[in-house]
Amino acid sequence: MSSTFKTLKRERLFRHPPQNGASLPILNELVIPHLESFNALFDDSGLPLGDGDGKGLLSLALKDIGERVVFSGTSVSGGGGGEKAWGTRMRIWIEQVTIARPMVSDKDKAAKERRAFPSEARERLTSYRGRMSVKICWQIENHGEVVRSTMRDCGLVPIMVRSVRCNLRSMSSAELVTHHEEPEEFGGYFVINGNERLIRYLILPRRNQVIALSRSSFTNRGPSYTPSAVQIRCVRSDQTSVTNTLHYLSNGSAMLRFSWRKQEYVIPIMLILKALTGASDKEIFEGIMMQDYENTFLTDRVELLLRSYKMYNLYTADQCLEYLGDKFRVVLGLPEDWNNRAVGVWLIQKLVLVHIGFSREKFKVLLFMLRKLYALVSKECCVDNPDSPQNQEVLLPGSLYGMIIKERLEEALNQVRTQITFDVQKGQADFLDNRYFNKVLSRVNFDIGAKMANFLATGNLVSPTGLDLQQASGFTIVAEKLNWQRYISHFRSIHRGAFFAELKTTTVRKLLPEAWGFLCPVHTPDGSPCGLLNHLSRTCRIVTSPLSVSHIPQLLVSHGMTQSFASEINGRKNLCVQLDGKVIGWAPPLLAKQLATNLRIWKTEGLHSIPLDLEIGMVLPSHGGQYPGLYLFSTQARMMRPVKCLANNRDDQVGSFEQVYMDIACTPAEIEAGVSTHVEHAPTNFLSILANLTPFSDFNQSPRNIYQCQMGKQSMGTPSTALQHRTDNKLYRLQTGQSPVVRPALHNTYGMDSFPNGTNAIVAVISYTGYDMEDAMILNKSAHERGFGYGTVYKSYPIDLADMKGALKGSTPTLHFGIGPDVRMRKGDYQHPAAETIDWDGLPFVGARLAPGGLIAAYIDDTTGRTRFVKYKGDEMAYVDTVRLLGGDAGDSELQKVHITLRITRSPVIGDKFSSRHGQKGICSQKWPAVDMPFTESGMQPDVIINPHAFPSRMTIGMLVESMAGKAGAIHGLAQDATPFQFTEDDTAIDYFGEQLKSAGYNYYGNEPMYSGITGQEFAADIYIGVVYYQRLRHMVLDKFQVRTTGPIDPLTRQPVKGRKRAGGIRFGEMERDALIAHGTSFLLQDRLMNCSDYSTAWVCRTCGSMISLGYDNVGLGSTVLGAESVAKPTGPGGEYCRVCRAAAEEEDQLARQSLANGTSEKSVVVGDVRVSIPSTNFLGSTSKGGDLDVVAVPYVFRYLCAELAAMGIAVSVAVE
Amino acid sequence: MNQQQQPATGSQPGASFYMGQRLEMEYLCADCGAKNEIRPREPIRCRECGHRIMYKKRTKRMVQFEAR
Repeated sequence: MSSTFKTLKRERLFRHPPQNGASLPILNELVIPHLESFNALFDDSGLPLGDGDGKGLLSLALKDIGERVVFSGTSVSGGGGGEKAWGTRMRIWIEQVTIARPMVSDKDKAAKERRAFPSEARERLTSYRGRMSVKICWQIENHGEVVRSTMRDCGLVPIMVRSVRCNLRSMSSAELVTHHEEPEEFGGYFVINGNERLIRYLILPRRNQVIALSRSSFTNRGPSYTPSAVQIRCVRSDQTSVTNTLHYLSNGSAMLRFSWRKQEYVIPIMLILKALTGASDKEIFEGIMMQDYENTFLTDRVELLLRSYKMYNLYTADQCLEYLGDKFRVVLGLPEDWNNRAVGVWLIQKLVLVHIGFSREKFKVLLFMLRKLYALVSKECCVDNPDSPQNQEVLLPGSLYGMIIKERLEEALNQVRTQITFDVQKGQADFLDNRYFNKVLSRVNFDIGAKMANFLATGNLVSPTGLDLQQASGFTIVAEKLNWQRYISHFRSIHRGAFFAELKTTTVRKLLPEAWGFLCPVHTPDGSPCGLLNHLSRTCRIVTSPLSVSHIPQLLVSHGMTQSFASEINGRKNLCVQLDGKVIGWAPPLLAKQLATNLRIWKTEGLHSIPLDLEIGMVLPSHGGQYPGLYLFSTQARMMRPVKCLANNRDDQVGSFEQVYMDIACTPAEIEAGVSTHVEHAPTNFLSILANLTPFSDFNQSPRNIYQCQMGKQSMGTPSTALQHRTDNKLYRLQTGQSPVVRPALHNTYGMDSFPNGTNAIVAVISYTGYDMEDAMILNKSAHERGFGYGTVYKSYPIDLADMKGALKGSTPTLHFGIGPDVRMRKGDYQHPAAETIDWDGLPFVGARLAPGGLIAAYIDDTTGRTRFVKYKGDEMAYVDTVRLLGGDAGDSELQKVHITLRITRSPVIGDKFSSRHGQKGICSQKWPAVDMPFTESGMQPDVIINPHAFPSRMTIGMLVESMAGKAGAIHGLAQDATPFQFTEDDTAIDYFGEQLKSAGYNYYGNEPMYSGITGQEFAADIYIGVVYYQRLRHMVLDKFQVRTTGPIDPLTRQPVKGRKRAGGIRFGEMERDALIAHGTSFLLQDRLMNCSDYSTAWVCRTCGSMISLGYDNVGLGSTVLGAESVAKPTGPGGEYCRVCRAAAEEEDQLARQSLANGTSEKSVVVGDVRVSIPSTNFLGSTSKGGDLDVVAVPYVFRYLCAELAAMGIAVSVAVE
Repeated sequence: MNQQQQPATGSQPGASFYMGQRLEMEYLCADCGAKNEIRPREPIRCRECGHRIMYKKRTKRMVQFEAR
């Protein structure tokens, strides 16, 4: 690495981006799998042909969808004979799909540039889409055989930026800049409603590879099912897949499982074997046994397998196919005129081992699966780990996109058929009329574009088949441009699957040695997605182009491989040779090994046109190891990485399956003669880009590097160099970004200097003020005033009048931006406050300062004629940075939508988070005045002070080395190389940088005498001081603080609400309460839980203890209510009484009177209440009859509880003393 | 729009002033940077290139805040 900062070169590159090509070509490599997999959808993908004819995935999908057939019910006139009861036969199919580049709407006549560009979609908050249309053909049989066709519009489909359908494709950096992109723009994402969204890589089981499984859940499938099974995920050429599982039953036979439209079906394997080729029992027996007759385990089971099939009484292929067709006819929905045999053939073709076209080859693979299954059961081979990258591949964004489009097309075609059948039933169908067919098409929903946009916007998969995937949501993420590191990480992230996130076992999250070089061991989040969300290693590629391998079987045969159809192959002595899940031959282990070596030499040297991306998995026989064989893979979506082949010093590509069986030395020094076959290009290649950017990461304890990968992505930095064209919801920007003095070589390679992410800070490691406890750090106040860590937040504030109250949907707008005459805008006494911030057009002045709750826009309502205002809802002072007036799609609509970018200044304050690049985060606890800061003998003061206790337990020696290296680099003007694994025990980093410090006149070990800024005295110890690159993290107190005294309350409980957004409080919970009780601070307890919460007063009846039976008599002070027979009704001083007790007392009274009157049952007439001016206390003996109430202070919820309990018939009685 | 004016606004001299002010505003095209005078309720479209996004120009007013 050169030791200069290349400042001039960088500036030149930024001012004059290259006219041809990219300013940093390596960045384009980041997204190659995204782009190429998307390009593969189209016939003009620009990818190599491979063995195919260059057809895109969409064309292949159309072929697989095939045709739909409807019948007219009755023979159309002149139709002739042969139709029996079905009538005329009509075939419908989709001939062609075209997706155009994004264009300006045809309605817009004014636009000179007809192409649409992503920047417009971003700024106008729309999607970047191209028009999709299909050519639908139909033919009425026995009617001249004329194929009629029509084009049908399918809406606007989102287009991946910089793909073959994007208008930015192959633009140079300079051209990109003229189209308002960054010079480094690499695409790979979609623009949906102004947001950049991408389809994340997802891990899938490796395609066309038989995997041995053992899962206890398999026993739940039915009686005699065992945990053992083998599984194969078969992938068609259009990248859609079907998983076939072969279950072992305890009776020795096996069942084949597949799913069709989310429904699972199981078929005895014998039925399939027979149906495929009509093999005799002997053929099957020999095929499985492969001359291994001594193996009684196998013979027993094969015998049972054959015997168990006897009961079906199906002997020939046709019988089996007819049987299958009969059973599946209802489910599959195939043309009615097909016979059972045709249905059976279709079933096997579309659902059993779909990666193979020929029945004979399917038969061979099924036999292989059976052999592997029996080997698994007899413990001859072990189970394969589905969590290991060895058995995994990647779901590519483009493939998923193609699968969804295919399914939507199929759905539309099915709808056409059902629509016509429906019409036939009603007798409205006219097959011969073209207009009728077009009418049917117009009734069918062909808007695939909207569905694709919905998929990208939500990440939800709406699918009748489930696409053979384990999850239905979470496929897409927003590519947040929080900072550059986070942005590029999105494109390298790879997820294990949402299904595994809920799993309680942690085995899927484990870091496996098989992942070496493919998935970064450092770059994974801590917390719930740990180990599930990984990132690809820096050099890991994903194969996207089809390879040409059809000549390989012939080549291997010519080098001694036995052909697969040869009779009498000894399965004990021969290994199966497979190419992409097809059995291509057999070879003894020694020969297989030789073949593997030959292939490797050929592919590295380009001989026999063996492609470099061919994966050669040589699994030699072992005792209970993986099932042996020579497995070759040439398909897409595999992870591969470059290493050096030692045999010929050529570049080699290694896949995740073969790597397990290879010996790759990490460094040239580690090469073991006779063992190592390969060596890594660089020892850091196993790290992801972000992990590679941590300086001296080999000196750190590994969790600290994990933390840095997290924090690097959270730091305020430079999100983009085209900030004025960005409309992200939130952007964080560091104003004073610097190029780090200490940087790994890859920092330059990836051009990270274009997007600085932090500041070089003079850091002293000293316990100085007492404000640096527990990871707090002290900022030099003068450094802060010079702009250390000064940042800005840009927030989007879109205003759409269509969403406002009073807006009429669909018609001409009634709301218009502007200020009406009812608002006094002139300077003077009655000037409207809006005049401060809002211009005549109703939009804010660019540069205006907005206070919280201030007015940001104004609009006139035509119906009322009044001007209404839009308020700024934020709680921080903001400046209006940009005001965008957004027109309509066709450029003919008046202003209804504006996008305002607000700028919020965020100078560092106490409580803001900072971190070095070594997982050492800290909170700014004080801005210490420069005069009181310690200083060195040369008069230097630190920008940052951290506590020495941050080091011993965390062991981030890398930070100490960085400090020394930074100090030496700063004084000598060097860019220090911080690439890991550069130093050894004999050549230490300390000595290297110590010498540099010494030559500059500093202490060898980077410590210096320092003087207290307060007393001026020299410290007893020398202080370690140097230059460390500091990141300012986006977690800032201003976004987090939460305080309240009074504020909104919950209407039901009258307790304070929660949530920062609603000005709520922080819960003072049970444990906090316990603490106060333990401290005996009862007044504080009372204050927190009662007075500051739901304090309320309530009347309690002293007699019955009820709180809910309060009644009031309207009496004046010192008067009493007299009830019937002039009995005083007791009340409290304010007329309050207990309704329950009074009622009880009156009843008692009544009874007493009746008994007094000797059983006379004459009802006393109740006279209305009469008020007399005597206090109730002056009445005799009646005080305790309902009038004795007390006021108590209770929490309001308690009253609510009493009411709720009363509703359930439970009385709460409160004793008042 | 003026017919629907509220009678109680009482800004008769203001109305004419207001009419004079609000006639047209100058915006910048987001694509070609051309100056465009767009009146209220006119379509948002650049006269030069037909682009559909406009930027509002920075205010001519003095922008002065207390630096604290």
